[in-house]
Amino acid sequence: MPLETFKSSEPLTLGVELELQLVNPTDFDLAAAASDMLHLLGRKPFPGDVKPEITESMIEIATDVHTRHDALLAQLREMRDALVGAGDRLNVAVCGGGTHPFQRWFDQRIFARPRFNELSQLYGYLAKQFTVFGQHVHVGCGSADEGLYLLHALGRYLPHFIALSASSPFSQGVDTLFDSARLNSVFAFPLSGRAPFLLKWGDFETDYFTKMEATGVVKSMKDFYWDIRPKPEYGTIELRVCDTPLTVERAAALACYLQALCRMLLEERVTLSEDGYLVYNYNRFQACRFGLDGTIVDPRNYESLSLREDILTTLRHLAPHAKALSSEPALDELYMVATRAGNHAGFLRRQYGEGGGLAGMVEAGVRGFRSGVAS
Amino acid sequence: MENLNHVLSEIAWPLALALAWLGGEVGRRWLGLPRVSCYAIVGFFVASSQSGFLPPPGGSMTLLANVALGLILFELGYRINLGWLRANPWLGATSVVEAAATFGLVFFIAVIFGQPHIPALLLAALAMPTSPAAALRVINDLRGSGQVTERTLHLSAFNCVFAVVAFRIVVGYALLAGNGSLFEAVWNSVVVVLVSAGLGTLFGVAVPGLLRFTGGLTRHTTVAFALAVVLLTALTQTLQFSPILAALVFGLIARHRRVVLSQAQRNFGVLGDLLAVQLFVFVAATLDWHQVGVGLKLALVVVVARLLVKTGVTTLFARVSGLSWRKGALTGVALMPLSVFAVLLIEQTRYLGGDLVEQLSGMTALVLLLDLFGPLATQWALRRAGEAQPGRED
Repeated sequence: MPLETFKSSEPLTLGVELELQLVNPTDFDLAAAASDMLHLLGRKPFPGDVKPEITESMIEIATDVHTRHDALLAQLREMRDALVGAGDRLNVAVCGGGTHPFQRWFDQRIFARPRFNELSQLYGYLAKQFTVFGQHVHVGCGSADEGLYLLHALGRYLPHFIALSASSPFSQGVDTLFDSARLNSVFAFPLSGRAPFLLKWGDFETDYFTKMEATGVVKSMKDFYWDIRPKPEYGTIELRVCDTPLTVERAAALACYLQALCRMLLEERVTLSEDGYLVYNYNRFQACRFGLDGTIVDPRNYESLSLREDILTTLRHLAPHAKALSSEPALDELYMVATRAGNHAGFLRRQYGEGGGLAGMVEAGVRGFRSGVAS
Repeated sequence: MENLNHVLSEIAWPLALALAWLGGEVGRRWLGLPRVSCYAIVGFFVASSQSGFLPPPGGSMTLLANVALGLILFELGYRINLGWLRANPWLGATSVVEAAATFGLVFFIAVIFGQPHIPALLLAALAMPTSPAAALRVINDLRGSGQVTERTLHLSAFNCVFAVVAFRIVVGYALLAGNGSLFEAVWNSVVVVLVSAGLGTLFGVAVPGLLRFTGGLTRHTTVAFALAVVLLTALTQTLQFSPILAALVFGLIARHRRVVLSQAQRNFGVLGDLLAVQLFVFVAATLDWHQVGVGLKLALVVVVARLLVKTGVTTLFARVSGLSWRKGALTGVALMPLSVFAVLLIEQTRYLGGDLVEQLSGMTALVLLLDLFGPLATQWALRRAGEAQPGRED
């Protein structure tokens, strides 16, 4: 299948996808409830899109296309309330978080769909270990080249999104010491990582995609698990590094941070080079491991920076863009995260430390998702 | 020869348990039968009434079986979310209608079969519950998860409570009709039910409180709860209250009173596995082959009617309670098991005069049939609902 043409879309429009956990309210282990939830949700119109994911204990929601923070948040809240309501009727709890802290991957049941069964066959235990939950944000791009420009320009800010969204400190019952253990599962896939440094869509197609396709390794863009990938059929680029936060409020804030960054990058037109990726993996590791306390290296001047400071500097720099996009409340929330509240990984660790145990962490996540407050 | 006989009688129970366990593994691997059905088959054949291999049931083995059921009921109670009834009142409606309709229909059938009123009422009360022992063991064996699983557990817990209450009221009524002592009648129904539930509540409040007081001993909650169940069972049995009700209420209250969440082991781990073998062997060993023939026809009709009425009601209420018709029907099928609960309910009231239920026509056949087919139905329903873990049954 040749590479699809990149559809043009309205620049700076947003779409958010959230992969959510379905858990049993008794022991807070993952519950195989996706089919039952989808059956019940299918009875009346859902305020957005809802679909199954690879295992029966995951469900994915997606918003419509938005330009404003308030409308995006309103739709996310409506979808959350619909999910929580359906869950209540079925004795299923819904929550965010990048990993489930104690689920055992070999217990996960693959949702019965041909593609999921194929993936399961190919990747074996990786497919089940892939029971991790991410937030994906799509940003509309006027052209394919604009998309590739943004994709590579955003590489510099990737650690921000990892640190701000991180909500997966525990995995398989132990504290991983990472703020985002989820990304370690993603990195295990052979086609994960970064996109090749090509700024023209034509070059991307001839120098990369067609060759990769000829190798037989990939069939479509879907087979790449890159941190940011182009989505030609939507005319968007898709940021995929965020853990699903515990609240939809945080999810909306992260999306609008991306929107403001893109606006800034489109206005300022920074110069890009392959050297921008020198420290890409190192910075990404710092953000996964230490969250906001990480130290990143600026690829331009090789200086070490506090990730927290870098985020705060960026937030201040984005203020006029946020104003223009009416997304100040979103950036205010992230400012509070970076200064006082900390990310959701820290919130979950505190729950564990205060004696809640593993199940207590999930319970706190369930409460947070329902109420919109987790800090 | 005498020596050999002596040795054999001394090791009868351990050997029977080993055989049953082996039968469970073999039956599951080669015939695809639920383990608990195989335990029951072995138990039935080694019973004193059949091969005479086991001594007649009684004494410490009864206590052990009660403890085993107590652990299962505690776990069941612990998995019940009363908040679900508030969020989904149709579930409660399903439960009440399902239990009441089973009671009514079985009573009606028994009367048609020419049974006097009191035995008919007793049979109706005993046909109401879904044996939580079989349901929970099958669900845990298959690692079931989903609506059929959750609803089977909840409906089983509720209809067990209804059954205990109904059974006690019938017993009270029978005593009143028999010797006219109002005190004895009230004592054996209302007081027993209330005190048993009260003791369960007391444990449900005290044990988590004690655990909290001793400070975050989260790792040891499984042992602590197991010991509490043993104590509660021994206490209620000695005082001639209802260990069944007490253990169920204990689990229910413990869950809703929890502050520190802990991952208590499912099935109480190895202890639960071991006791389950004893429980199912013991229950099947109480059956007498000669009794099976008595009222076999009645039993067959009751089995079919019970299946139809439970499935009918769960299907009827499926849509309004947020479920597909298909999963509603499968829930009804999964509610088939009966035996362990009914037999222990009888055992626990033997002091009232065993003859009350001993001559219950059709009961032995009913228990034997559902010992085998009840767990099989639950297993089938879970598989059909896609709620069993494929390839992983440990």
